[in-house]
Formats: sequence, C-alpha cells, structure tokens
Amino acid sequence: MYYIDLAVTGISFGCMYAMMSVGLTLVYGLLRILHVAHAAVFALGAYVTVLVANATGSILLGFLAAMIVTPLFGMAIYRVMYEPLLKYRPDVPLIASIGLLIFMQDAFRIVFGEQGITFHRNAFAFTTFNIFGVTVSAVQIATIITAVVVFTALHLFTTRTRIGIGWRATVSKPQIAASFGIDPIKVRYLNFAVGSVLAAIAGGLVAEMNNLVDPGIGFVVSYKALAIIVLGGLGSVRGTLIASLVLGLVEAYGTIFIGAWLDRDAIAFLALIVLLMIRPQGFTGARTA
Amino acid sequence: MSAYEISIISIIGINVILAVSLNMISGFCGQISLGHGAFFGAGAYAAALTMVGSGSVLLAILAAVVTGSLLGLAVGFASLRVRTDFLAVTTIGVNFLFVGFVRKQAWLGGEMGISGIPASGFGPVGNMTMILLFAAATIALSLYISRSWMGFAFRAVGEDEGAAATLGISAGAYKLAAFGIGTALAGLAGCLYTFFTQFITADAFDFIFSVMLMAMVVIGGIGSTWGVVVAAVGLTLLPEAIRFVNDYRLLVFGGLLVLVIRLAPGGLAGVIQKAFLAVRRS
Amino acid sequence: MSAALQLDDVAIRFGGVQAVGGVSFAVEEGDFVGLIGPNGAGKTTLIKIIAGLLRPDKGRVQLSGVDVTTDGTASRVRQGLALTHQIVRPFREMTVLDNVTLGAGYRRTSSPFRALMHLDRRRESERAAEIIAQVGLAGTEKKLAGSLPLGQMKRLEVARALAVEPRVILLDEPLAGLNHAEASKQVEAIAAVHARGITVVLVEHNLEEVMRICRRLIVLNNGLVIGDGEPREVMADPIVHEAYVGGGMASHAEA
Repeated sequence: MYYIDLAVTGISFGCMYAMMSVGLTLVYGLLRILHVAHAAVFALGAYVTVLVANATGSILLGFLAAMIVTPLFGMAIYRVMYEPLLKYRPDVPLIASIGLLIFMQDAFRIVFGEQGITFHRNAFAFTTFNIFGVTVSAVQIATIITAVVVFTALHLFTTRTRIGIGWRATVSKPQIAASFGIDPIKVRYLNFAVGSVLAAIAGGLVAEMNNLVDPGIGFVVSYKALAIIVLGGLGSVRGTLIASLVLGLVEAYGTIFIGAWLDRDAIAFLALIVLLMIRPQGFTGARTA
Repeated sequence: MSAYEISIISIIGINVILAVSLNMISGFCGQISLGHGAFFGAGAYAAALTMVGSGSVLLAILAAVVTGSLLGLAVGFASLRVRTDFLAVTTIGVNFLFVGFVRKQAWLGGEMGISGIPASGFGPVGNMTMILLFAAATIALSLYISRSWMGFAFRAVGEDEGAAATLGISAGAYKLAAFGIGTALAGLAGCLYTFFTQFITADAFDFIFSVMLMAMVVIGGIGSTWGVVVAAVGLTLLPEAIRFVNDYRLLVFGGLLVLVIRLAPGGLAGVIQKAFLAVRRS
Repeated sequence: MSAALQLDDVAIRFGGVQAVGGVSFAVEEGDFVGLIGPNGAGKTTLIKIIAGLLRPDKGRVQLSGVDVTTDGTASRVRQGLALTHQIVRPFREMTVLDNVTLGAGYRRTSSPFRALMHLDRRRESERAAEIIAQVGLAGTEKKLAGSLPLGQMKRLEVARALAVEPRVILLDEPLAGLNHAEASKQVEAIAAVHARGITVVLVEHNLEEVMRICRRLIVLNNGLVIGDGEPREVMADPIVHEAYVGGGMASHAEA
C-alpha cells in the first residue's frame, strides 16, 4: 500500500512539474530560449493566489487572479527582455533570464518577507481520504484532476481552434505559417501567456500543498523544469509531460534507494546528465546532421 | 592592516581568480559554464581533506588543482557531445549534483561541512599575500593566453566551431583545454579559500554563487581580462561598501545582470571600448 | 603517384534514402573538376563526406594516398584539404586580416599546446596580406568580416582556404547568390587558385560558368555517377540530358 501511496505522490508531483515545465518548453520550441525566469512567473502565481485568497476568502478567486496576472507578467518579460536579445546567441537571453529570476526572488523576499505568506484558511491542505486503503490528500486529487483538465483543454485548443492550430503551425513551420497570414508576434505573446497561466496554476497548487509560499519556492523547481524539458526533448510538449511524470515517480521511489547518498532534488540532474551522455539529443529530440 | 581589510582583500583575490578563470572558458572560448562553483568547491574539499590528512600545504594545492581540473575535464568531455543549449543546463546540473552529493556524504562533512581545518602556517597576512600572488599570476596567464595563438583559436571556436574546423582547428581539443585550464585555476582558488576560512560547507559553492561569478564575467565584458578583474573587485566590494547592497545583494546582482545584458552586452569593457572609439573619432 | 583526392565506393544512407550509393572517382593533382547534377542528386552529401562532415556507411576517402575516411574536418585540413561553404561563414567579429591570418597559422593551431607556446603573428599576417591581395580584397584588411558585402565575403572564404596551403580545394557553390560582376571576380579568384597548381573540385549550379572553367565534369544523379569526362562530351551525353530534363535544366542560375 505504501508503494501505491508513493505512486500517488509521484504522479501528483509529476502533474505539478508538467504544468510548470510546459511553459518552459513552449518558449524554447518557439524562440530557442531557456526561459529560466519562468520560475519567477510561477512564484508570482503562488503569491497572488494566496494574497487574493486571503483578501477575498475564496481560493477560487485566488487562482483566477493569478491566472490573470501571470500572463501579463510573462508577456512583459518577453517584450522587455527577450525581444531585443533575439539577435544574439541564445546564451545571452539565458543569462538575462537567470539574472531576472534572482532579482525577482530577492524582490519577493524583501516584499513578502523571508518567512513567506500562508493561507488564512486553508480548507484543503489537511484533508485526506482513504480510498481502498490508500491515503490520498485532497490537494493531490485536485492537482491530478486539474492537470488532466488543463492538458485536455490545451490539446483541444491546439487541434480544434483556428488560433491554436495557427500557433502550432508557427512553431513547427514559421515561414509557411507567416505566409498564411498568421502574425508571428501575436503567436509569441500567446505562447508566453499560455505558459504563464499554466505556471500560475502550478504555483497555486504548490501553495496549497505546502500551505506556504516562501521566496525560494520557484528556485529548485525551475532548474528541475530545465532538466525535465531537456529530458523530454526541448520543444516537445508530449515529451515534457512524459518526462514530468517519470521524474515525479522516480523521485518518489528513488528517495528510498538513492536518498542515502544524493539529495532528492539532485536526482533530476543525475538523470539528466546520464541521459545526455547516452543520447546527446535528449529523449525525443531529433538527430541533427 | 586590520583583520577586516585582510579578509576583504583575500576574498577579492579569490574572486578575481575565479572570475578570470571562468572568463577563459566562457569568454575566450565561448563555452557557457554556469557551474563554476562546483570546480571551486571540488578544489576546496580536496584541499580540506588533504590538510586534515597530511597538513601539507603543497599537497593540498596539488590535490585541489588536480581535482578541480579532473571534474572540469569530465564536464569538458560532456561539452563535446552536447549542443550549446544543453551545455548550459548540463553545467547547472553539475553544480546541483555536486552540492547535492556533498551534502549527503558523511566523509565530506555532510550538511555541517568540514570545520577545524589545519592552518596553512602562513597566517592571515601570509595567506592574503599568497592569494594576491596567485591572482596576479592568473591575470598574467589570462593576458598571455589571450594574445597567443591559443586565444586566437579559442575565439574562433567560440564563434563558429565548424568554420574553425575549416582552418584546421580541432574544436574538441580546444574546448577541453579551456575547461582544463579554467577549472584547474578554480580548484586552486578553492584551496586558497580553504586556507583562508579553515571551514567549508557545500552552500558556499552553489548555483547562486556560480551565477554571481558569471555576472562578474558579463558585467566586466565577456572576453576581456581586465574588464573581468575590475568587475570582480567591484562586485565583491560593493556589498561591503554599501550596506544597502549587502542586504539586497541578490537583487542588485540580478538587476545588474539584466541591465548590463540588455543595455550594454559588451559589459564594462565594451562601454570603454566604445568611448575610446568615440573619442578617437572626435 | 597517388591521386590528390580519391573516392572508392563511397555510400551513405539516411532518412530511408540512399543519398549516395557507391561513388568512385579519382581526381589527379592539378585537375579542375566540376561536380554537377540536378537538385537532390546527392552533391551536397558527397561534398560533406569529402569534407569530413559526414561519415559514409561504406567506402574510402583518400587524400594523396592517405586514408582519411575516419578523420574529422580539422584533421583533413591539416592534411591538405581546404573547403569553402555555400553559405559563407566568416568570423564576423574578427577583421578580414585576422580571419585569413588564423588560417595561415594552421600549423600554430594544430594543437592547443603548440598554440599556447606561440605568440608571434607577424609571418602569418604578412602571408595573409599577400593572399588577401591575390583574391582582390586589398584594402579591406581592417574591416570586420561581418560588414563585407556578399561578393567580398565569398572571396574571403577563398582567401581563408588558400591560407591553409592546401593541395585540394573543395568549393561548395562558390557563385551562388552573386550577380554577374561579382561572379566574374569570383571566377578569376578561383582560376588564380588553380593556376598555382592546387587541385580544384567545385559544386555549382551555374552550368554556364562551370562549362567554361572546369576541365572535367562529374555528373551525379540519385546518388550515383552518371557522367565523367570532358565538359562538352558530358553535356552532350543523352543520359545526362535526361537527368536534368526532369528537374529543369537551368543553363543560367541566378540566386
């Protein structure tokens, strides 16, 4: 039973990683930039969720507020920071992105304090259920359900709506898409917006799970997300989903075996490095000539 | 000289060695390395263990340099196999792995680190002098490399490996050389740091520190030895000189990094060069 | 005496397609060979194999009798091969002089240790300046390579190739993207290269120019050699005609 508990933990973490990482892989797929500052978007989402939930008493409003604020922030990052740097080699925006993340994290620390903020009333955090002998928390259920809903919606959006199809086309065949009249700039904004909304949801869920948002919240997850998107094949949403779930499960079970000599958070990077040595192009990455 | 001043100068010297050595890898040769802290740490731990085990300063220095460069060469080999985008993530990963690994190893002190490391015997002023001498030597080496054919080839490899190949330059060999030399120096800095503090924990070598080193390289001007030296000195002194900066250290560093990249990607060196050209024209 | 460049039964397959299927030919020293064929014939793939950018599934590549099949590009360059790119790749942040000097210093940069030991660039700079003048770029030495117009960049590629003192030069579409005047200058530069006794192998779509300057044509189609000989004879060959008719025979390729 314990092992199934672990599986649930692993899957729920995996879902959270997925929502966090997809935004990252979307940006890479479109612009070849490693958008490390995405973690700041995630953190902002978490903070906003808690603040608004505390102010209004409704956690749902908290989530909604986050889902409105973060895409604005994400799009602003693109416009102010990345757009002017596109002409340089990709290391340049990466370094700027890291700088922004560090800046934002410290800013959060200064504004909200070292200890962070918590929900005044958290209905979910400590509710658990016992299903067929397996202990599952409400947050875990919420996370998994949210992930399923969100990714189904995303899938439908990109395969059934005109905007969504145009978006996919721009990512895979930018010139052809442009000649069909699809505005690449709008697509970029859409890209950042959607990725940021996903990050906000992930942030809110993490806030729920820990009942706390502190300045370091984005830190480790952000670099794990980097490892995840490389493992999944940079730019591949499907690969990212798979890699996220796999990592969630590996971490959950792995700590039993490897926890003795390696920090849980470092497992992701160990997996990454091992993989890159075997397959330098990542899981689903294409082999360049 | 007060103890405080000796301390500051020592740290400046160590940071100069670290920043200049990182500049060789990322600036001269264009290989983005965001895990330089790991090589610094590897050297520090090697030196610490050697001092605890044997008390020999010479052995400690040797152990630090060798350990730093072995780890560096391993990463260098990795850089031969992966694309540029992946290299950045790999070096970040190496840093996290290093810290994550060390924190769990009892023989490395775990989360408490290693304390009570035997003194080098030179005393604080002696240590500081040694640090400054090595810093000067590092700067000299960097300037020499930059002017030599090695620096010439590094620049080609950093800009376009394929084109470099058409001129008979084996990119792989040069990348390894850059990592080997740069990380050996980082390891050396680690040893000097161990002599200086006599107490080390893994947290001093984490990713954030690596980013600060990269900030020194970027702000100083990627590729420019003197620019990086000035930036290293300046950015080390800044938190000491301005209390505000100390409290908001990451804010300032992060903000500076973004501003410099956005507005003056050539860093200090670039700004000065442009000013130079402008003056010459007028 | 061994051929300057020799291919024996070279073949490679990727993407489910036999891009090159068993190609053999020998280029003697001093030859001036044009490698032609319709689009998709495998010319670019073959050039990449000769240059060391791709490793063939089977077959052998030899430079002056030395087997270089498993050698990388840099190694082949040090053994007498030079190449230029279809899409120019100068070091944009370096001056024209530095670009060519680096090539002239190929002995200095053969290994990092050797490179570390040497500081002085005067001899190589002087040689570079001579070569720059020879390809008609005199006066541009101090300019940043990235600021040159396309025609000059293409001649810079030739200058860099000359700097490594090659026995064989591989030119990948040296005239692509050039207007008539620039193309003439480029052809002159290439002719000058050949006049120094260097073996020239070029890939080119501009058949008119190719007919004029090459002494021998090798025609590729579907990864196989379908013609090899004197330009007039080869172009008159009905098999060659047929290969082109499907893809459209362009007697004048303008980018």
